[in-house]
Amino acid sequence: MQFRFFFNEAINSLVRNWVMSVAAIVTVLVSMFVLGLGLILFFNFEQAISDLRNKLEIEVFIKNTASPGDISKLGDQIRAMSEVKDVNFVSKDEALKRLKESFKGHEDVLDALSGNPLPPSYEISLKDPSQIETVAQRFFDNPIVDNSPGTHDGVKYGGETSDRLLKVTTYFLVGGAGFVVLLTVASVLLISNTIRLSIFARRREVEIMRLVGATNWFIRWPFVMEGVFTGMLGATGAAFLVILTNVFLIENVKDKMPFLPFSADVPYFWLVLLVVIGGTMLGSVGSGLALRRFLRI
Amino acid sequence: MGLQEVNVHIERGDFCFLVGHSGSGKSTFIRLLLKEFEPSEGTITVAGRNLQRMKRGSIPHHRRNIGCVFQDFKLLPNKTVADNVAYALRVTGVTPRNIRRKVPEILQLVGLGDKMYSLPDELSAGEQQRVSVARAFVNHPSLLVADEPTGNLDPDTSVGIMQLLYRINRTGTTVLMATHDREMVDKMRKRVIALEDGRVIRDESKGLYR
Repeated sequence: MQFRFFFNEAINSLVRNWVMSVAAIVTVLVSMFVLGLGLILFFNFEQAISDLRNKLEIEVFIKNTASPGDISKLGDQIRAMSEVKDVNFVSKDEALKRLKESFKGHEDVLDALSGNPLPPSYEISLKDPSQIETVAQRFFDNPIVDNSPGTHDGVKYGGETSDRLLKVTTYFLVGGAGFVVLLTVASVLLISNTIRLSIFARRREVEIMRLVGATNWFIRWPFVMEGVFTGMLGATGAAFLVILTNVFLIENVKDKMPFLPFSADVPYFWLVLLVVIGGTMLGSVGSGLALRRFLRI
Repeated sequence: MGLQEVNVHIERGDFCFLVGHSGSGKSTFIRLLLKEFEPSEGTITVAGRNLQRMKRGSIPHHRRNIGCVFQDFKLLPNKTVADNVAYALRVTGVTPRNIRRKVPEILQLVGLGDKMYSLPDELSAGEQQRVSVARAFVNHPSLLVADEPTGNLDPDTSVGIMQLLYRINRTGTTVLMATHDREMVDKMRKRVIALEDGRVIRDESKGLYR
Protein backbone atom coordinates (compact mmCIF):
# COMPACT_ATOMS: atom_id res chain seq x y z
CA MET A 1 0.00 0.00 0.00
CA GLN A 2 1.33 3.38 -0.96
CA PHE A 3 0.72 4.93 2.40
CA ARG A 4 2.30 8.29 1.74
CA PHE A 5 0.37 8.84 -1.45
CA PHE A 6 -2.98 7.98 0.17
CA PHE A 7 -2.07 10.08 3.18
CA ASN A 8 -1.42 13.13 1.02
CA GLU A 9 -4.59 12.59 -0.99
CA ALA A 10 -6.63 12.37 2.22
CA ILE A 11 -5.06 15.49 3.72
CA ASN A 12 -5.58 17.46 0.50
CA SER A 13 -9.21 16.50 0.45
CA LEU A 14 -9.67 17.43 4.12
CA VAL A 15 -8.18 20.85 3.49
CA ARG A 16 -10.15 21.45 0.30
CA ASN A 17 -13.45 20.69 2.07
CA TRP A 18 -12.38 22.38 5.26
CA VAL A 19 -15.77 23.68 6.37
CA MET A 20 -17.37 20.25 6.39
CA SER A 21 -14.21 18.72 7.83
CA VAL A 22 -14.25 21.14 10.74
CA ALA A 23 -17.93 20.43 11.38
CA ALA A 24 -17.31 16.70 11.48
CA ILE A 25 -14.20 17.09 13.64
CA VAL A 26 -16.07 19.24 16.15
CA THR A 27 -18.91 16.72 16.38
CA VAL A 28 -16.50 13.91 17.09
CA LEU A 29 -14.78 16.16 19.59
CA VAL A 30 -17.98 16.88 21.48
CA SER A 31 -19.15 13.28 21.60
CA MET A 32 -15.75 11.97 22.66
CA PHE A 33 -15.49 14.78 25.23
CA VAL A 34 -18.77 13.74 26.82
CA LEU A 35 -17.60 10.13 26.80
CA GLY A 36 -14.34 11.19 28.44
CA LEU A 37 -16.10 13.24 31.11
CA GLY A 38 -18.35 10.29 31.86
CA LEU A 39 -15.32 8.10 32.25
CA ILE A 40 -13.66 10.58 34.58
CA LEU A 41 -16.75 10.76 36.79
CA PHE A 42 -16.87 6.99 36.74
CA PHE A 43 -13.24 6.69 37.79
CA ASN A 44 -13.75 9.20 40.57
CA PHE A 45 -16.87 7.62 41.99
CA GLU A 46 -15.50 4.16 41.51
CA GLN A 47 -12.56 5.07 43.69
CA ALA A 48 -14.78 6.60 46.32
CA ILE A 49 -16.98 3.52 46.33
CA SER A 50 -14.17 1.09 46.72
CA ASP A 51 -12.68 3.26 49.47
CA LEU A 52 -15.95 3.04 51.30
CA ARG A 53 -16.24 -0.67 50.78
CA ASN A 54 -12.77 -1.24 52.10
CA LYS A 55 -13.48 0.69 55.21
CA LEU A 56 -16.17 -1.69 56.36
CA GLU A 57 -16.84 0.11 59.52
CA ILE A 58 -20.10 0.51 61.32
CA GLU A 59 -20.77 3.87 62.85
CA VAL A 60 -23.42 3.91 65.52
CA PHE A 61 -24.59 7.43 66.37
CA ILE A 62 -25.96 7.98 69.82
CA LYS A 63 -28.70 10.35 70.85
CA ASN A 64 -27.49 13.54 72.50
CA THR A 65 -29.96 12.82 75.28
CA ALA A 66 -28.45 9.45 76.20
CA SER A 67 -26.87 9.22 79.64
CA PRO A 68 -23.16 8.41 80.01
CA GLY A 69 -24.12 5.20 81.75
CA ASP A 70 -26.21 4.02 78.78
CA ILE A 71 -23.40 4.96 76.44
CA SER A 72 -20.79 2.92 78.25
CA LYS A 73 -23.24 0.03 78.63
CA LEU A 74 -23.66 0.01 74.84
CA GLY A 75 -19.88 0.03 74.52
CA ASP A 76 -19.63 -3.06 76.71
CA GLN A 77 -22.34 -4.81 74.70
CA ILE A 78 -20.45 -4.11 71.48
CA ARG A 79 -17.15 -5.34 72.86
CA ALA A 80 -18.88 -8.54 73.94
CA MET A 81 -19.92 -9.39 70.37
CA SER A 82 -17.79 -12.16 68.91
CA GLU A 83 -17.62 -10.62 65.40
CA VAL A 84 -16.16 -7.34 66.60
CA LYS A 85 -12.48 -6.72 66.15
CA ASP A 86 -12.19 -3.22 67.50
CA VAL A 87 -14.37 -0.51 68.95
CA ASN A 88 -13.60 3.16 69.12
CA PHE A 89 -15.67 5.74 70.95
CA VAL A 90 -15.91 9.15 69.27
CA SER A 91 -17.04 11.84 71.67
CA LYS A 92 -18.85 15.02 70.61
CA ASP A 93 -15.61 16.99 70.89
CA GLU A 94 -13.71 14.42 68.89
CA ALA A 95 -16.37 14.50 66.15
CA LEU A 96 -16.13 18.30 65.90
CA LYS A 97 -12.36 18.12 65.76
CA ARG A 98 -12.55 15.70 62.83
CA LEU A 99 -15.04 17.87 60.97
CA LYS A 100 -12.72 20.83 61.38
CA GLU A 101 -9.88 18.79 59.99
CA SER A 102 -11.79 17.89 56.84
CA PHE A 103 -12.51 21.60 56.30
CA LYS A 104 -8.92 22.57 56.81
CA GLY A 105 -8.30 26.06 55.47
CA HIS A 106 -12.00 26.86 55.40
CA GLU A 107 -12.76 26.63 59.12
CA ASP A 108 -14.77 29.84 58.91
CA VAL A 109 -17.59 27.78 57.35
CA LEU A 110 -18.03 26.04 60.69
CA ASP A 111 -18.37 29.31 62.62
CA ALA A 112 -21.98 29.30 61.52
CA LEU A 113 -22.60 26.33 63.79
CA SER A 114 -24.00 27.20 67.19
CA GLY A 115 -22.49 24.94 69.82
CA ASN A 116 -21.77 21.37 68.83
CA PRO A 117 -24.66 19.61 67.10
CA LEU A 118 -22.63 16.48 66.39
CA PRO A 119 -23.66 13.29 68.16
CA PRO A 120 -21.17 10.99 69.83
CA SER A 121 -20.66 7.64 68.12
CA TYR A 122 -19.06 4.23 68.24
CA GLU A 123 -16.88 3.13 65.34
CA ILE A 124 -16.90 -0.62 65.05
CA SER A 125 -14.60 -2.66 62.86
CA LEU A 126 -15.20 -6.33 62.25
CA LYS A 127 -13.08 -9.42 61.96
CA ASP A 128 -15.01 -10.59 58.90
CA PRO A 129 -16.40 -7.87 56.60
CA SER A 130 -19.18 -10.14 55.35
CA GLN A 131 -20.80 -9.97 58.81
CA ILE A 132 -21.35 -6.23 58.53
CA GLU A 133 -25.05 -6.40 57.69
CA THR A 134 -25.84 -8.78 60.56
CA VAL A 135 -23.99 -6.75 63.13
CA ALA A 136 -25.38 -3.43 61.91
CA GLN A 137 -28.95 -4.71 62.24
CA ARG A 138 -28.53 -5.29 65.98
CA PHE A 139 -28.45 -1.54 66.55
CA PHE A 140 -31.48 -0.68 64.43
CA ASP A 141 -33.95 -0.87 67.32
CA ASN A 142 -31.70 0.22 70.15
CA PRO A 143 -33.44 3.10 71.99
CA ILE A 144 -30.32 5.17 72.57
CA VAL A 145 -29.23 5.05 68.90
CA ASP A 146 -29.95 8.32 67.09
CA ASN A 147 -32.50 6.99 64.61
CA SER A 148 -35.06 9.31 63.06
CA PRO A 149 -38.48 7.85 63.73
CA GLY A 150 -39.22 4.90 61.48
CA THR A 151 -35.68 4.57 60.01
CA HIS A 152 -32.33 3.34 61.13
CA ASP A 153 -30.24 6.22 59.86
CA GLY A 154 -28.40 6.26 63.19
CA VAL A 155 -26.47 3.23 62.01
CA LYS A 156 -24.10 3.91 59.14
CA TYR A 157 -22.11 1.24 57.49
CA GLY A 158 -20.06 1.05 54.34
CA GLY A 159 -22.49 -1.17 52.49
CA GLU A 160 -25.34 1.27 52.73
CA THR A 161 -23.45 4.43 51.77
CA SER A 162 -21.63 2.80 48.94
CA ASP A 163 -24.84 1.31 47.61
CA ARG A 164 -26.42 4.74 47.54
CA LEU A 165 -23.40 6.25 45.83
CA LEU A 166 -23.43 3.40 43.35
CA LYS A 167 -27.06 4.12 42.54
CA VAL A 168 -26.32 7.80 41.86
CA THR A 169 -23.33 6.84 39.73
CA THR A 170 -25.45 4.41 37.76
CA TYR A 171 -27.96 7.15 36.94
CA PHE A 172 -25.10 9.33 35.77
CA LEU A 173 -23.66 6.55 33.68
CA VAL A 174 -26.93 5.55 32.04
CA GLY A 175 -27.77 9.16 31.22
CA GLY A 176 -24.26 9.82 29.97
CA ALA A 177 -24.25 6.63 27.90
CA GLY A 178 -27.51 7.66 26.23
CA PHE A 179 -26.05 11.04 25.40
CA VAL A 180 -22.87 9.49 24.07
CA VAL A 181 -24.87 7.12 21.86
CA LEU A 182 -26.81 10.05 20.36
CA LEU A 183 -23.66 12.03 19.74
CA THR A 184 -21.95 8.98 18.30
CA VAL A 185 -24.72 8.54 15.76
CA ALA A 186 -24.50 12.24 14.93
CA SER A 187 -20.74 12.04 14.41
CA VAL A 188 -20.98 8.95 12.23
CA LEU A 189 -23.59 10.63 10.05
CA LEU A 190 -21.63 13.86 9.81
CA ILE A 191 -18.42 12.09 8.91
CA SER A 192 -20.27 10.00 6.36
CA ASN A 193 -21.77 13.18 4.92
CA THR A 194 -18.36 14.84 4.74
CA ILE A 195 -16.95 11.85 2.90
CA ARG A 196 -19.99 11.76 0.64
CA LEU A 197 -19.39 15.39 -0.30
CA SER A 198 -15.78 14.72 -0.99
CA ILE A 199 -16.71 11.70 -3.12
CA PHE A 200 -19.24 13.86 -4.95
CA ALA A 201 -16.72 16.64 -5.51
CA ARG A 202 -14.37 14.08 -6.95
CA ARG A 203 -16.75 11.82 -8.87
CA ARG A 204 -15.10 12.79 -12.15
CA GLU A 205 -11.74 11.96 -10.68
CA VAL A 206 -13.07 8.62 -9.47
CA GLU A 207 -14.28 7.87 -13.00
CA ILE A 208 -10.84 8.72 -14.38
CA MET A 209 -9.18 6.60 -11.72
CA ARG A 210 -11.27 3.63 -12.80
CA LEU A 211 -10.39 4.22 -16.45
CA VAL A 212 -6.66 4.15 -15.83
CA GLY A 213 -7.10 0.87 -13.99
CA ALA A 214 -7.13 1.80 -10.31
CA THR A 215 -8.41 -1.04 -8.15
CA ASN A 216 -11.40 -0.37 -5.92
CA TRP A 217 -9.28 -0.24 -2.83
CA PHE A 218 -6.80 2.10 -4.47
CA ILE A 219 -9.70 4.50 -4.97
CA ARG A 220 -11.20 3.89 -1.53
CA TRP A 221 -8.15 4.24 0.70
CA PRO A 222 -7.84 8.04 0.53
CA PHE A 223 -11.52 8.38 1.49
CA VAL A 224 -11.19 5.88 4.33
CA MET A 225 -8.17 7.73 5.63
CA GLU A 226 -10.00 11.02 5.38
CA GLY A 227 -12.67 9.64 7.69
CA VAL A 228 -10.15 8.14 10.06
CA PHE A 229 -8.23 11.42 10.27
CA THR A 230 -11.43 13.32 10.98
CA GLY A 231 -12.21 10.94 13.82
CA MET A 232 -8.68 10.97 15.12
CA LEU A 233 -8.38 14.76 15.11
CA GLY A 234 -11.68 15.16 16.93
CA ALA A 235 -10.78 12.50 19.46
CA THR A 236 -7.35 13.93 20.14
CA GLY A 237 -8.90 17.32 20.78
CA ALA A 238 -11.42 15.66 23.08
CA ALA A 239 -8.74 13.77 25.01
CA PHE A 240 -6.87 17.02 25.50
CA LEU A 241 -9.99 18.81 26.76
CA VAL A 242 -10.90 15.95 29.07
CA ILE A 243 -7.50 16.05 30.73
CA LEU A 244 -7.66 19.82 31.04
CA THR A 245 -11.09 19.54 32.62
CA ASN A 246 -9.92 16.94 35.07
CA VAL A 247 -6.87 18.93 36.06
CA PHE A 248 -8.49 22.33 36.37
CA LEU A 249 -12.08 21.64 37.28
CA ILE A 250 -12.14 18.45 39.31
CA GLU A 251 -8.89 19.11 41.12
CA ASN A 252 -10.08 22.60 41.85
CA VAL A 253 -13.35 21.30 43.22
CA LYS A 254 -11.42 18.79 45.27
CA ASP A 255 -9.36 21.60 46.79
CA LYS A 256 -12.36 23.76 47.55
CA MET A 257 -14.66 21.00 48.72
CA PRO A 258 -12.43 18.37 50.25
CA PHE A 259 -15.33 16.37 51.65
CA LEU A 260 -16.51 15.30 48.15
CA PRO A 261 -15.29 11.83 47.30
CA PHE A 262 -13.31 12.95 44.24
CA SER A 263 -9.89 11.72 43.44
CA ALA A 264 -8.20 13.17 40.38
CA ASP A 265 -6.19 10.02 40.17
CA VAL A 266 -7.41 9.02 36.71
CA PRO A 267 -5.50 6.55 34.52
CA TYR A 268 -4.80 9.10 31.80
CA PHE A 269 -3.08 6.70 29.47
CA TRP A 270 -6.08 4.39 29.19
CA LEU A 271 -8.48 7.28 29.05
CA VAL A 272 -6.67 8.89 26.13
CA LEU A 273 -6.25 5.55 24.40
CA LEU A 274 -9.95 4.78 24.75
CA VAL A 275 -11.06 8.20 23.54
CA VAL A 276 -8.71 8.22 20.55
CA ILE A 277 -9.58 4.67 19.53
CA GLY A 278 -13.25 5.53 19.90
CA GLY A 279 -12.92 8.59 17.67
CA THR A 280 -10.94 6.71 15.08
CA MET A 281 -13.58 4.00 14.97
CA LEU A 282 -16.27 6.66 14.49
CA GLY A 283 -14.25 7.94 11.57
CA SER A 284 -13.85 4.60 9.88
CA VAL A 285 -17.48 3.63 10.40
CA GLY A 286 -18.58 7.00 8.98
CA SER A 287 -16.42 6.74 5.90
CA GLY A 288 -17.32 3.08 5.44
CA LEU A 289 -20.98 4.06 5.41
CA ALA A 290 -20.38 6.75 2.80
CA LEU A 291 -18.30 4.43 0.64
CA ARG A 292 -20.93 1.72 0.71
CA ARG A 293 -23.70 4.08 -0.30
CA PHE A 294 -22.01 6.55 -2.61
CA LEU A 295 -18.98 4.89 -4.11
CA ARG A 296 -20.31 1.87 -5.91
CA ILE A 297 -17.34 0.79 -7.90
CA MET B 1 -26.14 3.47 -28.62
CA GLY B 2 -26.34 -0.23 -29.20
CA LEU B 3 -24.18 -2.28 -31.50
CA GLN B 4 -25.53 -5.15 -33.60
CA GLU B 5 -23.82 -7.94 -35.48
CA VAL B 6 -20.42 -6.34 -35.22
CA ASN B 7 -17.68 -8.75 -36.18
CA VAL B 8 -14.26 -7.16 -36.21
CA HIS B 9 -10.76 -8.46 -35.77
CA ILE B 10 -7.91 -6.02 -35.25
CA GLU B 11 -4.36 -7.36 -35.53
CA ARG B 12 -1.70 -6.65 -32.95
CA GLY B 13 0.21 -3.55 -33.98
CA ASP B 14 -2.51 -2.24 -36.32
CA PHE B 15 -3.58 1.37 -36.67
CA CYS B 16 -7.31 1.47 -37.14
CA PHE B 17 -9.90 4.25 -37.52
CA LEU B 18 -13.46 3.91 -36.32
CA VAL B 19 -15.67 6.37 -38.21
CA GLY B 20 -19.35 7.20 -38.25
CA HIS B 21 -21.85 9.86 -37.24
CA SER B 22 -22.54 10.79 -33.66
CA GLY B 23 -24.61 8.03 -32.18
CA SER B 24 -23.42 5.39 -34.60
CA GLY B 25 -21.89 3.34 -31.78
CA LYS B 26 -18.22 4.34 -31.83
CA SER B 27 -18.08 5.13 -28.13
CA THR B 28 -20.04 1.98 -27.28
CA PHE B 29 -17.43 -0.03 -29.20
CA ILE B 30 -14.65 1.52 -27.11
CA ARG B 31 -16.46 1.17 -23.82
CA LEU B 32 -17.10 -2.48 -24.50
CA LEU B 33 -13.37 -2.98 -24.96
CA LEU B 34 -12.79 -1.36 -21.57
CA LYS B 35 -15.46 -3.62 -20.05
CA GLU B 36 -17.38 -0.64 -18.78
CA PHE B 37 -20.42 -2.75 -19.53
CA GLU B 38 -21.25 -6.16 -20.93
CA PRO B 39 -22.51 -7.07 -24.40
CA SER B 40 -25.84 -8.87 -24.26
CA GLU B 41 -24.54 -11.37 -26.82
CA GLY B 42 -21.27 -12.44 -28.38
CA THR B 43 -17.71 -12.40 -27.18
CA ILE B 44 -15.00 -9.78 -26.98
CA THR B 45 -11.36 -10.73 -26.76
CA VAL B 46 -8.65 -8.18 -26.00
CA ALA B 47 -4.99 -9.21 -26.14
CA GLY B 48 -6.03 -12.85 -26.01
CA ARG B 49 -8.28 -12.47 -22.97
CA ASN B 50 -11.97 -13.17 -23.17
CA LEU B 51 -13.81 -10.31 -21.45
CA GLN B 52 -16.91 -12.39 -20.70
CA ARG B 53 -14.90 -14.78 -18.59
CA MET B 54 -13.02 -12.02 -16.79
CA LYS B 55 -13.80 -11.63 -13.09
CA ARG B 56 -14.83 -8.23 -11.77
CA GLY B 57 -11.68 -8.01 -9.72
CA SER B 58 -9.53 -8.33 -12.84
CA ILE B 59 -11.11 -5.36 -14.64
CA PRO B 60 -8.62 -2.81 -13.25
CA HIS B 61 -5.74 -4.97 -14.42
CA HIS B 62 -7.36 -5.32 -17.83
CA ARG B 63 -7.70 -1.53 -18.11
CA ARG B 64 -4.06 -0.97 -17.25
CA ASN B 65 -3.29 -2.82 -20.43
CA ILE B 66 -5.35 -0.36 -22.48
CA GLY B 67 -4.36 3.29 -22.75
CA CYS B 68 -7.28 5.71 -23.13
CA VAL B 69 -7.42 9.14 -24.72
CA PHE B 70 -10.67 11.09 -24.76
CA GLN B 71 -12.05 14.13 -26.50
CA ASP B 72 -12.38 15.94 -23.14
CA PHE B 73 -8.91 14.81 -21.98
CA LYS B 74 -10.17 13.54 -18.59
CA LEU B 75 -7.26 14.93 -16.63
CA LEU B 76 -7.40 15.24 -12.84
CA PRO B 77 -7.90 19.01 -12.41
CA ASN B 78 -6.22 19.30 -9.01
CA LYS B 79 -3.07 17.49 -9.98
CA THR B 80 -0.08 18.79 -11.89
CA VAL B 81 0.80 17.39 -15.29
CA ALA B 82 3.46 15.20 -13.73
CA ASP B 83 1.06 13.89 -11.05
CA ASN B 84 -1.58 13.13 -13.65
CA VAL B 85 0.82 10.95 -15.58
CA ALA B 86 2.21 9.52 -12.35
CA TYR B 87 -1.27 8.45 -11.25
CA ALA B 88 -1.48 5.89 -14.05
CA LEU B 89 1.82 4.46 -12.83
CA ARG B 90 0.86 4.56 -9.16
CA VAL B 91 -2.23 2.45 -9.63
CA THR B 92 -0.08 -0.28 -11.10
CA GLY B 93 2.20 -0.21 -8.08
CA VAL B 94 5.26 1.31 -9.74
CA THR B 95 7.74 2.44 -7.09
CA PRO B 96 8.14 6.20 -6.46
CA ARG B 97 11.70 6.02 -7.72
CA ASN B 98 10.61 4.58 -11.05
CA ILE B 99 7.79 7.11 -11.24
CA ARG B 100 10.29 9.94 -10.86
CA ARG B 101 12.31 8.46 -13.69
CA LYS B 102 9.52 7.56 -16.11
CA VAL B 103 7.31 10.64 -15.88
CA PRO B 104 9.82 13.22 -17.16
CA GLU B 105 10.85 10.74 -19.84
CA ILE B 106 7.36 10.38 -21.29
CA LEU B 107 6.62 14.10 -20.96
CA GLN B 108 9.76 14.85 -22.94
CA LEU B 109 8.50 12.43 -25.56
CA VAL B 110 5.19 14.31 -25.98
CA GLY B 111 7.02 17.65 -25.95
CA LEU B 112 5.91 18.89 -22.52
CA GLY B 113 9.16 18.52 -20.61
CA ASP B 114 8.94 22.13 -19.44
CA LYS B 115 5.30 21.96 -18.26
CA MET B 116 5.68 19.22 -15.65
CA TYR B 117 4.43 21.26 -12.74
CA SER B 118 1.63 23.12 -14.50
CA LEU B 119 -1.99 22.36 -13.70
CA PRO B 120 -4.21 21.19 -16.57
CA ASP B 121 -6.12 24.54 -16.61
CA GLU B 122 -2.91 26.37 -17.34
CA LEU B 123 -2.33 24.46 -20.56
CA SER B 124 -3.80 24.86 -24.03
CA ALA B 125 -6.20 22.21 -25.30
CA GLY B 126 -3.51 20.66 -27.48
CA GLU B 127 -1.11 20.48 -24.56
CA GLN B 128 -3.76 18.90 -22.35
CA GLN B 129 -4.36 16.25 -24.96
CA ARG B 130 -0.63 15.56 -25.05
CA VAL B 131 -0.68 15.01 -21.30
CA SER B 132 -3.58 12.63 -21.77
CA VAL B 133 -1.67 10.73 -24.48
CA ALA B 134 1.38 10.61 -22.21
CA ARG B 135 -0.74 9.15 -19.42
CA ALA B 136 -2.27 6.59 -21.76
CA PHE B 137 1.13 5.46 -23.03
CA VAL B 138 3.27 5.63 -19.90
CA ASN B 139 2.39 2.04 -18.93
CA HIS B 140 3.24 0.86 -22.46
CA PRO B 141 -0.15 -0.78 -22.96
CA SER B 142 -0.65 -3.25 -25.78
CA LEU B 143 -3.71 -1.33 -26.98
CA LEU B 144 -4.34 2.41 -27.08
CA VAL B 145 -7.90 3.56 -27.73
CA ALA B 146 -8.67 7.18 -28.57
CA ASP B 147 -12.24 8.49 -28.60
CA GLU B 148 -12.21 11.54 -30.90
CA PRO B 149 -8.90 12.78 -29.53
CA THR B 150 -8.79 15.65 -32.00
CA GLY B 151 -12.47 16.59 -31.63
CA ASN B 152 -11.72 19.72 -29.60
CA LEU B 153 -8.55 20.74 -31.36
CA ASP B 154 -7.75 22.97 -34.32
CA PRO B 155 -6.33 21.27 -37.44
CA ASP B 156 -2.69 22.14 -36.79
CA THR B 157 -2.81 20.91 -33.21
CA SER B 158 -4.63 17.80 -34.39
CA VAL B 159 -1.77 16.97 -36.71
CA GLY B 160 0.59 17.06 -33.73
CA ILE B 161 -1.58 14.63 -31.77
CA MET B 162 -1.90 12.34 -34.79
CA GLN B 163 1.86 12.30 -35.19
CA LEU B 164 2.14 11.32 -31.57
CA LEU B 165 -0.34 8.47 -31.99
CA TYR B 166 1.45 7.37 -35.13
CA ARG B 167 4.76 7.24 -33.29
CA ILE B 168 3.16 5.23 -30.52
CA ASN B 169 1.79 2.82 -33.10
CA ARG B 170 5.31 2.42 -34.54
CA THR B 171 6.50 1.07 -31.19
CA GLY B 172 4.18 -1.91 -31.74
CA THR B 173 1.17 -0.62 -29.83
CA THR B 174 -2.19 -1.29 -31.44
CA VAL B 175 -4.06 2.02 -31.90
CA LEU B 176 -7.82 2.27 -32.33
CA MET B 177 -9.09 5.78 -32.94
CA ALA B 178 -12.71 6.88 -33.23
CA THR B 179 -12.94 10.11 -35.20
CA HIS B 180 -14.94 12.53 -37.33
CA ASP B 181 -11.83 14.04 -38.82
CA ARG B 182 -12.20 13.32 -42.53
CA GLU B 183 -8.96 14.96 -43.62
CA MET B 184 -6.91 13.05 -41.11
CA VAL B 185 -8.36 9.67 -42.07
CA ASP B 186 -7.84 10.31 -45.76
CA LYS B 187 -4.25 11.45 -45.22
CA MET B 188 -3.22 8.47 -43.10
CA ARG B 189 -4.57 5.73 -45.42
CA LYS B 190 -4.98 3.19 -42.60
CA ARG B 191 -7.67 0.63 -41.92
CA VAL B 192 -11.12 2.24 -41.60
CA ILE B 193 -14.13 0.64 -39.92
CA ALA B 194 -17.32 2.62 -40.58
CA LEU B 195 -20.31 2.27 -38.28
CA GLU B 196 -23.88 3.34 -38.89
CA ASP B 197 -26.78 2.74 -36.52
CA GLY B 198 -24.73 0.21 -34.62
CA ARG B 199 -23.72 -1.90 -37.63
CA VAL B 200 -20.45 -2.13 -39.52
CA ILE B 201 -21.17 -0.78 -43.00
CA ARG B 202 -17.61 -0.78 -44.30
CA ASP B 203 -14.25 -2.24 -43.26
CA GLU B 204 -11.31 -1.46 -45.56
CA SER B 205 -7.58 -1.52 -45.11
CA LYS B 206 -5.95 1.69 -46.38
CA GLY B 207 -9.44 3.18 -46.52
CA LEU B 208 -10.87 6.69 -46.83
CA TYR B 209 -13.38 8.49 -44.64
CA ARG B 210 -16.01 9.00 -47.37
